[in-house]
Amino acid sequence: MRKLLIVILLVSTIFAFAKVKIQFWHAMGGWRIELLQKMAEEFMKQNPDIEVEVQYTGSYRDTLNKLIAAVKAGTPPHVVQIYEIGTQVMIDGDIAIPIEDLIKKDPTFDIGKFLPQVLNYYRVNGKLYSMPFNSSNPILYYNKTLFKKAGLDPEKPPRTFEELIEYCRKLTIKDEKGNIVQAGITWPLHSWFFEQFVALQNAPLVDNDNGRSGRPTKAVFNHEAARRFFRLWYTLSKEGIMINTKKEDWTGARQLFISQKVAMLISSTSDVKLMMDAAKENGFELGTAFLPKPKEAEQGGVVIGGGSLWIIKGHPKDEIEAAWKFVKWMAEPEQQIEWHLGTGYFPVRKDAVEELLYKGYYAEYPHHLTALLQLLFSVQTPNTRGAIIGAFPKVRDIIETAIERMINGEMTPEKALEWAEKEATKAIQEYNELYE
Amino acid sequence: MKKGWDIPHPFFGGEEVRKILPYILLIPTFLVIILFIYWPAVYSFKLSLYRIAPFGNRMIFVGFKNFAKLFHNPEYINSISVTVIYVVSSMLITLFLSFFIAILLNMKLPGNAVYRTLIFAPYAISPAIAGTLWTFLLNPVVGHVNYFFSKFFGIQVEWLTTKPFALYALIFATVWKTLPFNIIFYLAGLQNIPDELLESSMIDGANAWTRTWKIIFPLLSPITFYLVIMNIISFMFASFAIIDVMTKGGPGDYTTTMIYRLFLDAFAFQRTGSAAAQSVIMFIIMAIVTIVYFKFGERRVHYQ
Amino acid sequence: MRKSRKKLITMLVAEAILIVFTIIVTLPLFLAITISLQKPETVFSYPPKLFPRSFHWQNYVEAFRLVPLARLMLNSLVIASSITLGKLFTGTLAGYAFANFRFKGKEVSFALLFATLFLPAETVMILPLFLIMKKFNWINTYWALIIPFTASATNTFLMRQHFLTIPRELEDAAKIDGASPMTYFRKILLPLSRSMLAGASIINFVYAWNMYLWPLIVTMEDRMKTVQIGVKMLIDAESANNWGVIMAGTVVALAPTLIVFLLLQNLFVKSLVRSGMKG
Repeated sequence: MRKLLIVILLVSTIFAFAKVKIQFWHAMGGWRIELLQKMAEEFMKQNPDIEVEVQYTGSYRDTLNKLIAAVKAGTPPHVVQIYEIGTQVMIDGDIAIPIEDLIKKDPTFDIGKFLPQVLNYYRVNGKLYSMPFNSSNPILYYNKTLFKKAGLDPEKPPRTFEELIEYCRKLTIKDEKGNIVQAGITWPLHSWFFEQFVALQNAPLVDNDNGRSGRPTKAVFNHEAARRFFRLWYTLSKEGIMINTKKEDWTGARQLFISQKVAMLISSTSDVKLMMDAAKENGFELGTAFLPKPKEAEQGGVVIGGGSLWIIKGHPKDEIEAAWKFVKWMAEPEQQIEWHLGTGYFPVRKDAVEELLYKGYYAEYPHHLTALLQLLFSVQTPNTRGAIIGAFPKVRDIIETAIERMINGEMTPEKALEWAEKEATKAIQEYNELYE
Repeated sequence: MKKGWDIPHPFFGGEEVRKILPYILLIPTFLVIILFIYWPAVYSFKLSLYRIAPFGNRMIFVGFKNFAKLFHNPEYINSISVTVIYVVSSMLITLFLSFFIAILLNMKLPGNAVYRTLIFAPYAISPAIAGTLWTFLLNPVVGHVNYFFSKFFGIQVEWLTTKPFALYALIFATVWKTLPFNIIFYLAGLQNIPDELLESSMIDGANAWTRTWKIIFPLLSPITFYLVIMNIISFMFASFAIIDVMTKGGPGDYTTTMIYRLFLDAFAFQRTGSAAAQSVIMFIIMAIVTIVYFKFGERRVHYQ
Repeated sequence: MRKSRKKLITMLVAEAILIVFTIIVTLPLFLAITISLQKPETVFSYPPKLFPRSFHWQNYVEAFRLVPLARLMLNSLVIASSITLGKLFTGTLAGYAFANFRFKGKEVSFALLFATLFLPAETVMILPLFLIMKKFNWINTYWALIIPFTASATNTFLMRQHFLTIPRELEDAAKIDGASPMTYFRKILLPLSRSMLAGASIINFVYAWNMYLWPLIVTMEDRMKTVQIGVKMLIDAESANNWGVIMAGTVVALAPTLIVFLLLQNLFVKSLVRSGMKG
């Protein structure tokens, strides 16, 4: 008996020593922390020789800064989640092992199973640097109950900018003193929406094919497509039929829609479950639709948002292999489905979508179908693949500032756009100076 | 003034030890400061002379270009003027309001202990949480403040998204957060002033306020002297957290102070060289302000 | 008769102002408590509520379940207390040196110390500080969270002001009795500063308790994180429906600082009296 115990002890000690430890940093808060922990534990069960340390490292911004500090100190994590607009910075930093290299060495991995739209975002110069993980799009949510009350057909959401303005006028209720009791629409004051509406019209943000065929040298978004959107925003705000939030205020926008202070909301597809629950609890009927676009615009598509997983250099071979195993696993259909069900980010693979379809999932959750179809209908051009800009965070801030100035009456839509393009070009050129 | 210990004590080792004792006393503080504040500061200041890639794999020496660029940048100039308005307004309001409330608290009216305890709450709440709570209260459509305003005044203000209200809201939240600190110091100072003086100045009709002003405030000037510089330092350097939560510097850079600009350049845009240059500039400005403050401010302080 | 009537009116007006002022000042606190006790679907209903109608304690249970709040609070407690003690230690010694001694370089060193207040500590300097922590091998340890903050110009300044107001006679008497400077410091000066130390403790504790960015950067395991990170963890930036839970976490995170203040505040107000900060 004792001998058996000793043997067991020895074996388990050996196993413990044989465990490869990897660190996984992510920026998903709230219930997602639990979900990721659970998924990691499932991975560890299937791979007893690997230990994954999951750590919440703050917002996307905090996570990037923490990564920078760790890299400079020589103690980077193995796997880290970075937001999509950090792609160029990560590539330029030369600190990650491109996923493409790992795929080449791994014949079991079939990249063809992934949704091309998603791959197209994260492939730069034909190379896939990071593993797509949490992807989202914007869609239009609307309150069918309020539509009915305003005399609008709840099965006919607005499809053009012109219709949108008209609907908002009908849906806005003001009191005797002119204060807003209910407005037509809201969406977070975020550059993401600008980028989406530009891509919807198949127009670019920066030159060199939106940064895809080479480093962008200037911003080129002062075009009619962008002007249409700016003018739309300006008109809606001026007439008081839209409520504006402060910069990047997702919560504020959601809050307005949930409390039925606005009849329409443009937000991320990752909010579908939240909106479905909220509609039920607050007694209104939820509708979803594609984003409206200008009548005369060219057909474009929506751009992927969210984040991806990067594997960082500077670790021994066995740890890298373990990290690759983990990243691969997180992209497998079961995990993608679990992640989708738990968060609302859509699954990045075709076979996952197929499985959900056969399960009757999209019949039960038609809103997720709306999001998926909008993505699938997107024409694949450099403009809809998403821009690759090193100074993206700064460019976003410039665009948001321009929008704020426009809404506050400081600049006309045309002037604001012109200013934003000029400033964005400056930022891009400044960034490029480092790599000349 | 005090002379210090100059009688050698037979017990303690004599004159030499006496001479080096103050230096020994300073060692713990300076050890920490030099290792963990000076060294990082010097390192950061050095970075101001470079253009640096986010991950540090490219470093180009640019001399004073970062500084020159800042002064040619209308955004930066804007942040300087926002800072001046923000700091001066917050300073004046906080100072006078805290003085006023301290006087009221000093009257030891019923419920005084409760007020004093509750008024501390803003100081304990972290800036991020404070900003979040005020954002809720100031929500234009479903917030409590506008609910109250629309019921009683029939107006609906978009507090955080329009000019000039965004700045008002920010100053308000800042004052709110700093009041307890000031009130406590003023309150303590008032304990030392004889009650009769306080009472007589408070109740003599229309001149009560002027009297309080001309007599009591000057008596508290050493406290004021301390509070003003400490408040300025706090508004200059600590305000980025509350700005990030409440207005994100908007609308259109309207509430972007120098420290918020620095914070964005350092953490959101990874423009490390420029952020370092900005910290050098702030350091120099504060050094000048403090020197001027001590030189000229101290003259107006009435020590007993 | 007139005087006492005027006095009464003044007192009534003052009381009214104080009540309104206190209400306005504590609005956010009430809001946090109210939201923490609401069910998720009622948080954004209109008209907005300021007092809890329901007592949905599950929010608190959920907060503790989602995030290891207890462990994080313990960490914050250890760290904030250590930093407070450290600052009191270094601040009293240094304040003593500046207040009671004459020595070469006194003005310069005081200026150098004061200058540390002109640095944006929580921003540009985080990276170099992190590199130092790496050198010392202190990453992900309590050391990194405590030691760099165990001295400050504010504390030194405060203690110096206080010590300057202790009457010289006490010092002279001690000298005559044959006491050494450190004995005077220990047996007479410190006991007289009890309340000022309490006040400094409040300031130090709150500052340390509310730190977010540095602990986020320097900790590498969830079990080493602090309570402010814990509150942030509750905020799922991409959904918005658990404000009840977030506020529950916030209230829990807030409680210790309020408790510390409650315990120490009486001492503090009285102390400044003796410090004669007024002049």
